[in-house]
Amino acid sequence: MAEEKVDVLIIGSGHSGGMAAKVLTEKGISCLMLNAGPIADVRRDTEPKPAYALPFRGFDQPGRLPHVFQSNEFNANTWVDEKEVPYTYDPKHPYNWVRVRLFGGRSLFWSRQSFRLSDYELKGKSHDGFGDDWPISLADLAPYYSQVEAIFRVRGRAEGLPQYPDGNFVPDDSPWTGCMQRFVTAGKQMGIPVCKARSSEGVDGLASSVNLLLPDAFATGKLKTIPNVVVRELSADKNTGLINEAHFVDRLSRREMSVRARVVVLAAGTLESTRLLLNSRMANSSGVMGHYLIDQVYGPGITCSVPEARDGKATPELIGGSALIPRFRNLDTKAKNFIRGYALNIYSSIHSMDPRNFAAYGEELQKKIDSYHGSGFSAGIMGEVLARYENHVSIDKNVVDAWNIPALRIDTKYTDNEFNMARDAVDTSIALAEAAGFEVLTKNYDPNPPGYSIHELGTCRMGDDPKTSVLNKWCQSHDAKNLFVVDGSSFVSSGWQNPTMTILALAMRSSEYLAEQMRQGNV
Amino acid sequence: MQRRDFVKAMMAATVTARTMLGQQTAAPPPPGTPPPPATAPGPVPWMRGLMEVKPLPITPLVPDAVAQTHAHFFTDQQMTTLRRLSEILLPPLKGYPGALDAGTPEFLDFLISVSPSDRQQMYQSGLDWLDAEAKQHYDASFENIQPAQADQLLRPWLRTWMSDHPPAEPHAQFVNIAHSDIRRATMNSQAWSDAASAAGEHEPGVDLYWFPVEPDVRREGSALNRAPALRNRHS
Repeated sequence: MAEEKVDVLIIGSGHSGGMAAKVLTEKGISCLMLNAGPIADVRRDTEPKPAYALPFRGFDQPGRLPHVFQSNEFNANTWVDEKEVPYTYDPKHPYNWVRVRLFGGRSLFWSRQSFRLSDYELKGKSHDGFGDDWPISLADLAPYYSQVEAIFRVRGRAEGLPQYPDGNFVPDDSPWTGCMQRFVTAGKQMGIPVCKARSSEGVDGLASSVNLLLPDAFATGKLKTIPNVVVRELSADKNTGLINEAHFVDRLSRREMSVRARVVVLAAGTLESTRLLLNSRMANSSGVMGHYLIDQVYGPGITCSVPEARDGKATPELIGGSALIPRFRNLDTKAKNFIRGYALNIYSSIHSMDPRNFAAYGEELQKKIDSYHGSGFSAGIMGEVLARYENHVSIDKNVVDAWNIPALRIDTKYTDNEFNMARDAVDTSIALAEAAGFEVLTKNYDPNPPGYSIHELGTCRMGDDPKTSVLNKWCQSHDAKNLFVVDGSSFVSSGWQNPTMTILALAMRSSEYLAEQMRQGNV
Repeated sequence: MQRRDFVKAMMAATVTARTMLGQQTAAPPPPGTPPPPATAPGPVPWMRGLMEVKPLPITPLVPDAVAQTHAHFFTDQQMTTLRRLSEILLPPLKGYPGALDAGTPEFLDFLISVSPSDRQQMYQSGLDWLDAEAKQHYDASFENIQPAQADQLLRPWLRTWMSDHPPAEPHAQFVNIAHSDIRRATMNSQAWSDAASAAGEHEPGVDLYWFPVEPDVRREGSALNRAPALRNRHS
């Protein structure tokens, strides 16, 4: 019924919002979930088409999504439109902000890589003196990681490495293909563990909030949801400082509405959550909201060929499969010119190689493509970006989105640590590949623009000290105890690991804490 | 429908309305009776028969199947250079069409004409540069030099590169990006798809296309909002 007060208002329907909804409703708490975008239905919203039937023959529509390198003409309509929800930055330091507002958010499309943070990340400052430790350790998160891994059906192999914590896995007993085994052996000789990758199998191939989390929430009968509403700002009670109302606008009609809530759980995705809080001018007594924006270095890597697999000799026994080299730098030894570390994604493929691996054209290129078919092997970096105060976001008062909500300005850049780490990743990959007897064809030392990883983290970081953090270790605002921010905003450091498992674990842990606080009447 | 019949029908409707007015004292329909289905003005319900019709058995043609694209962005000389470059970089091979068979130069003229200005600049100056090089080294336009001579001009600039990281030096950037664009436009063409089908490939180049999901047509920047007349309509 209109005008009643909602118990918990959840803003966002992705992994973090979905987990909050599941945990809270299963504990008997009524929740209302708002999502900025529509509910997508693949049956209604997609159609198989050949590239030649598309307006731009499969090329990205020029200028349409210049910051979404992952877009193509087939999927262009799934990403947030950059003209509809613009953001700004210094042209000398571009940022790729990649967003999805379909119900379920980026959980619909993510890469499924599933890793735990280790105490090398959670207690990074204790290890090397830089930045800040998280107020929690792996021991605090482990029980939640285990539950998340069970829900998401993470496939992996126990390795016994502290920098690559083992989890609650669907066992991966697959053998290495021949080329992978050669790479593993080369790694052993260089003291670099080449491990099995870890991936969320989900159910029927989907590992999203829409199939793994929200159905449980809806089954309780305690979750209501409204799509197509864009939250403009939150407001607080002047006397108590507690959040009490969310103002939102219907995405299509522009009708302005609001709903009152006892508790607000913000799960709009790292920078959208921070944008909302900055626009609402709240929860920032520390002054650090918006600061310590972090993401991960992606892009640098190599492409190789396995000579024994060329000229028609590739077999599924020799070529195929993937591996993960977890961080191996700056554990027990110190790298020359960077701190923290990176992982390497390792892939091999029995399919065609990209023609850009050969400096040739016409008939000569075709001969090379034919010869090298089925022999491809590649390595790519996932690197930790250091958390720096200066890397920050703020509100750009001169730019608004399609609903007149002030836009975000992003000011961030990579520094020597990131560039030196990238160089080491490529050089190490080349050394490993050559030791394994592969031919290195192409290499790239240049990181993709910040944001490309789609792992933006921080800007509402957690901490024990309200003067230097926005949230406490339960992702609860220091300033307003009925405000929780459960997405990647709370991260203190990025690590190299895909943040999804950690976001889910934190959201689960915070939601359990919130439910208990509500039961005790503290919130 | 004949105009006379139409007029008769309209008069019948008018008579009915007048008759209804005359029946103001008649009992109102009982509560819970659904209202009569809405109809547009006219004798036939607007949606009649549409729910039942089967999809038409058409396989629509894309224009490229029968039509030529008019190139209007590059100059005549640049187009000539682009056609020759396309022919050299991707000739017909192994039963597949070459770039010219696939209408690639004309398609790229269209694509670049709607591209950001830095991409337009790269193509225009790159094509001009190729022609100037040919004239300087071989005293002929690029379209008239021998394949071996074209190879001497192009080969120094060929590079290996990865997605999102094309070579940055000016001539290398043009040669490698143009090469990639020429290949992509050709391999994404219907002519290529037909050749792939003939070679036994199942549904070549087909992928899931996402339609706009509940699109917001009112937003700023949408074509509908640009004309001043339309902008004032909702104020």
